Amino acid sequence: MDDPSSRRNRIRDEVNRLEAGGFIGGPGRTSVTSDLSIDESLVLHAIGWEAVELVCGVSTYSIQGTLWNWGSGEIVSASMAHARALGDAVQKLRSECLGVLGHGVVGVHLEVSVERYLVNAVLVGTAVAPIAGGSPPAVPFVSDLSGRDFALLHQAGWDPVGLAHGASFVYAPRRRAMDTVRQSTQNVELTNYTEALYSAREGAMERMQRRASELGAGGVVGVTVSEGPMEFARHAVRFAAWGTAVRRSGRPAVLPPVELVIDLDDEQRAFDPASLRGSGL
Amino acid sequence: MSDTPSSEGLPKDAGHRLEELRNLFTSDLSVNEFLLIKEAGFHPLGFVMGSSIYHTGIQTRKWAKSQELDKLTEAMYNARELAMTRMEEEAQQLDADGIVGVRLDVNYYEWGSDSAEFIAMGTAVKAENGQSYRNKLGLPFTSDLSGQDFWTLMQTGYLPAGLVMGTCVYHIAHRGLAQTLSSVGQNVELPNFTQALYEARELAMTRMQDEAGRLDAAGIVGVRLEEKSHQWGSHTIEFLSLGTAVVRSGAEVTLPKPTTIISLDH
Repeated sequence: MDDPSSRRNRIRDEVNRLEAGGFIGGPGRTSVTSDLSIDESLVLHAIGWEAVELVCGVSTYSIQGTLWNWGSGEIVSASMAHARALGDAVQKLRSECLGVLGHGVVGVHLEVSVERYLVNAVLVGTAVAPIAGGSPPAVPFVSDLSGRDFALLHQAGWDPVGLAHGASFVYAPRRRAMDTVRQSTQNVELTNYTEALYSAREGAMERMQRRASELGAGGVVGVTVSEGPMEFARHAVRFAAWGTAVRRSGRPAVLPPVELVIDLDDEQRAFDPASLRGSGL
Repeated sequence: MSDTPSSEGLPKDAGHRLEELRNLFTSDLSVNEFLLIKEAGFHPLGFVMGSSIYHTGIQTRKWAKSQELDKLTEAMYNARELAMTRMEEEAQQLDADGIVGVRLDVNYYEWGSDSAEFIAMGTAVKAENGQSYRNKLGLPFTSDLSGQDFWTLMQTGYLPAGLVMGTCVYHIAHRGLAQTLSSVGQNVELPNFTQALYEARELAMTRMQDEAGRLDAAGIVGVRLEEKSHQWGSHTIEFLSLGTAVVRSGAEVTLPKPTTIISLDH
């Protein structure tokens, strides 16, 4: 297991070395590392912003003494470890962003892995700032929106304020042996499982909403949910939700008029409604 | 905790998240969809969902007989209805006019065989002009249209009325030895397979149309026909047809002429 803080230091050293050689960032911003595509850089430039630097935040928290397969209700230690790991990683991302004078981070890629004894969160994104300069805000925003989406929202009069996230782990109770036998030939709803899943979902979404409210947001867009069983805990359910909290910026909104277009390219991809659902992180 | 299925009432944890949604909205819409929905005159209220974990019963099938397995069909219907109804109830709690971008999924967990989770989720929206866009039954409309499709549909003077579905679980007969032998080395249609698949699809589509009829719909757009074997083996197939029933909004519309483009990014 690679120690994340040493890994982060190693990345930092590497970046410092490159910076010393005049490859990236630094005063005058001669060149920039970013994982934005050319289109995204162009769109950002169109609204008067530019990429500053690739930044990352990593954090690992241990899950204190949890029996994953026996119990009832929420697995509080796991939920807390998840919240802390992600919160900490966001914090580190923010301070790296401030370190390079960024006003915020876009295109954040989230990678959260839950293992039996620890939660590991890795966030990588591109710090951006207005070309005009100006001092960065005390708390830079963090958003998993692409550069393109950021520019579109910016034009429409909305600003991202931060990453809203929440997770919840809940025990899925076992059925009594009698019930299992009785229900084996019937069409029935398994109410105890349904309730466990509900409680995990609602808990996670509620936390996400609360975090968005704390950030002073008017809404959360692009909510992604991640759920599923864990190999080491068959009788527990995991549910995590995250999205970008947004707020009205107060600037006049200029949305380019929507036009109907027909693409005349021969090589048409088969129409798949799911593909319209954004980047699907 | 009772084990009897009930369509009324959300599980006990469902309520408080929605109560907190006053000045905040949540949605799984992408930024494009979010802006288009605003453009169409709607505001997202919240991410709503409904879910039900359902145990499907057992039904015996005859090896050489094509037939609908009505007990399984019923299970697939019931479970989806439970999930959809719960989602609609959440939307009603938010005083929504409708739900867009509805997805219906089936998840399998390791807790037990023959059980699956049916889940419905989408984004509840409300019209910004104060008008009610609820459907004929006084319920929020549901639709599996994306934000882009929703905007386009509104331009054509139609409104979504509800997500309609029809399902049929069908057992397709195995071919007997004599039949198999008689077609070895020949180009022939296998009429029993063709007929079974036809009938199953027809049943599913008819049921979907009946649901649309109940909403007085003018038509169904975006129909998808899905075939899944779930965990029943290769000869038992669920045919599921899904689409959005639409009604005329009454407003006179002039369709904008689409611009044709050739994109250069290939």
